[in-house]
Amino acid sequence: MKLSKRILILLLCTAVLASVCATAVAEEVAPERTIVYAQVPDDWQYPCLWAWADDGTSAFASWPGEQMEPDPANAGWYYAYMPTGMDAVIVNANDGGVQTSDYRIDKQNAWITVTSAEEVTVSFEAQTTGEAPAYTERFTVYAQVDPSWENPGTWAWEDPSGKNAFAAWPGRAMKPNENGWYSARVPVFVNSVIINANNGGVQTADIKELDPADVWITVAADGSYDFTYEDPDMLKAEDITVYAKAPEGWEAPCLWAWSHPDGTNAFQSWPGEPLTFGEDGWYSITVPGWINSVILNANAGTVQTSDLSVEVGRDIYLVVKAADDAVIAYEEPAE
Amino acid sequence: MKRAMIRIILLCMLAATLTGCAGGNSDSSTTAPKPVTITIWHDKEDAVADVLQKALDALAPDIAVKLEKKAGLTEALKMVGNDKNAAPDMYWFAHDKLGVYAEMGILAPIGDFIADEELADYIPMTLRAGMYKGTRYQMPLYFETLLFLYNRKYMKDADVPATTEALYGYMKRKTHGGHYGFVEQHSTAYYSAGWLHAFGTEVLNAQGQPHLDDENVINALTYHLKFVELMPDETEYATVNTLFREGMAHATLAGPWLVPTLREAGIDVGVAPMPVVDETGLPLAPYSGVQGLHVLKVHAREKKDAIMKVLTALLEPQIGTDLALVSACAPANGKCYGDERITSDAAGMEMRRTAETAVPMPNLPEMDVMWTVLGNLLTDVNMRGQDVAEAAAQAQRQAAQLIEAMR
Repeated sequence: MKLSKRILILLLCTAVLASVCATAVAEEVAPERTIVYAQVPDDWQYPCLWAWADDGTSAFASWPGEQMEPDPANAGWYYAYMPTGMDAVIVNANDGGVQTSDYRIDKQNAWITVTSAEEVTVSFEAQTTGEAPAYTERFTVYAQVDPSWENPGTWAWEDPSGKNAFAAWPGRAMKPNENGWYSARVPVFVNSVIINANNGGVQTADIKELDPADVWITVAADGSYDFTYEDPDMLKAEDITVYAKAPEGWEAPCLWAWSHPDGTNAFQSWPGEPLTFGEDGWYSITVPGWINSVILNANAGTVQTSDLSVEVGRDIYLVVKAADDAVIAYEEPAE
Repeated sequence: MKRAMIRIILLCMLAATLTGCAGGNSDSSTTAPKPVTITIWHDKEDAVADVLQKALDALAPDIAVKLEKKAGLTEALKMVGNDKNAAPDMYWFAHDKLGVYAEMGILAPIGDFIADEELADYIPMTLRAGMYKGTRYQMPLYFETLLFLYNRKYMKDADVPATTEALYGYMKRKTHGGHYGFVEQHSTAYYSAGWLHAFGTEVLNAQGQPHLDDENVINALTYHLKFVELMPDETEYATVNTLFREGMAHATLAGPWLVPTLREAGIDVGVAPMPVVDETGLPLAPYSGVQGLHVLKVHAREKKDAIMKVLTALLEPQIGTDLALVSACAPANGKCYGDERITSDAAGMEMRRTAETAVPMPNLPEMDVMWTVLGNLLTDVNMRGQDVAEAAAQAQRQAAQLIEAMR
């Protein structure tokens, strides 16, 4: 085959590939991050970092914050990354049972030595050697194990590349939690884990094809397991009740409800579902707990309120005096 | 004699000139030409309507375009579409209802105002959508199709299935523990029609005759079943979107309107071509809805020039681009795809590619019946476990009866 033909074919293949390949809707720009190191006393188990900015923005969703990772290259040091722009931190441990005071870091990388809750030094000069471990997003592996399985741990890797999350078997010791579940954080490249215990004496088979999402694994004494991505302790979004009073002339009121801004509707078609009139004088209807917008309408949808925003997951009392006069409450209003 | 004649002629010319001047002065000081008002009914959000309103305001002062948001637009047109005092001059809506209005005789052909050659750059699918019994009744503006959306946290770009068998293999590996490899509204007619089209069949032929018992419909439904088995039982709009938005599903078929919500929820969304059915070599081909302007016959003759100017203004690619962007759709005018704002929109560009295979929603009046019948057929097969051939035959009989009752 002549060279020009080969080039032509190569170009065509490239064009076809470019036209059919998948594309991201929007390229995410990786946010800049700041690293905080901490050394903590021996009895400070599973240290965490809590951080915030002067404007009140928190770096992490909830207390006690981000669990810190041990730095394999610097024994005794833990680290955590956080979004750049944080002004103050607290180091805590033992599920928030012990903690330092607030310490300002003024948006800088910091090395914090915690001798005790009251005795803390903060340095902005590197106290560790070598490069900081690269930032990686993580998810949590939870395990509930048979009582005969003591001190469970997680071994985690990427299949089929064989890239390991931890340096040596049996991997990361799992943190015991108050609800009976153990947990360990693993990098998002992980798609396979083994839960082990008794210093690696017992273990599950390889648990493969995992998604990089928090996962709850239940392990029986014989090592058999099951897993779910749904927090077993999390209550499902329960249905709510919408109570309504409609003005005179509004016959057979219906509720139209949806989730803004995605537009997911609770009902198939306008005008929605009719409310039932109760002995208490209120119309009422049960709707999914995720709705955040409602319209009360009547007379086959020919009269209606405007779009009304409501809080998610709470029963609603809606008093409509006219199409443009509606009041929302979350407790039954006094007459 | 000659001189006398010349004097008379000159006097007459002078008189005529003076009279002309006087008349001209009188007109310009008392009666400026009245603008022609063009009323357009629509059902769009304010932000979308504002784009068109601003664009058409450029026709003032000769033409005053008045966009009027109309609740229950489709029913209102049935009631007053030929009422001189109540009907609008045009309406802005999806193409799929125009067959009903054409049969009612309330629509004017677009060809009366815009020559087909003016639409040469338009995407062919968008032009096909506006044709009914050989006549064009819609000036297309923008369109939407379903998209194959995936969560890049779970499904890597390199793992996006190019074929339905690859998709099935992926679903088998990834559907565990409350997560789903792929979810769709498998028993909703609009969302599932793409599977039928990928088997080379449609629910209605061009004459409006149903063929739900067609061999290819049965093959498509039978093949689709194994995918349905790996999806949740409940597959209505809310469930499917919530699963994807909350990171419980890796991929889905959804409209472009979902993308902003997904971004807000922090989902790293990818958009990919529809997978190709291995057995037929055809991609899943979703329905497409084409939004555009339709002219009502009631004022078409007396306002012909103004309507022509409105439609001509809409040929401007800038308007198509602006409308497509604000409504998260894809422009119908091919010239818009020279605009970087469009080419940088992955969802819009994927809709442009999908337009090559997408099927315009049928605009035949009979389709009103078919939505329900096909939905019931899908429910019988996918959720009630009814035999596919039996269910299809039963649905065919029902569709034929309902269509007969319409006529």
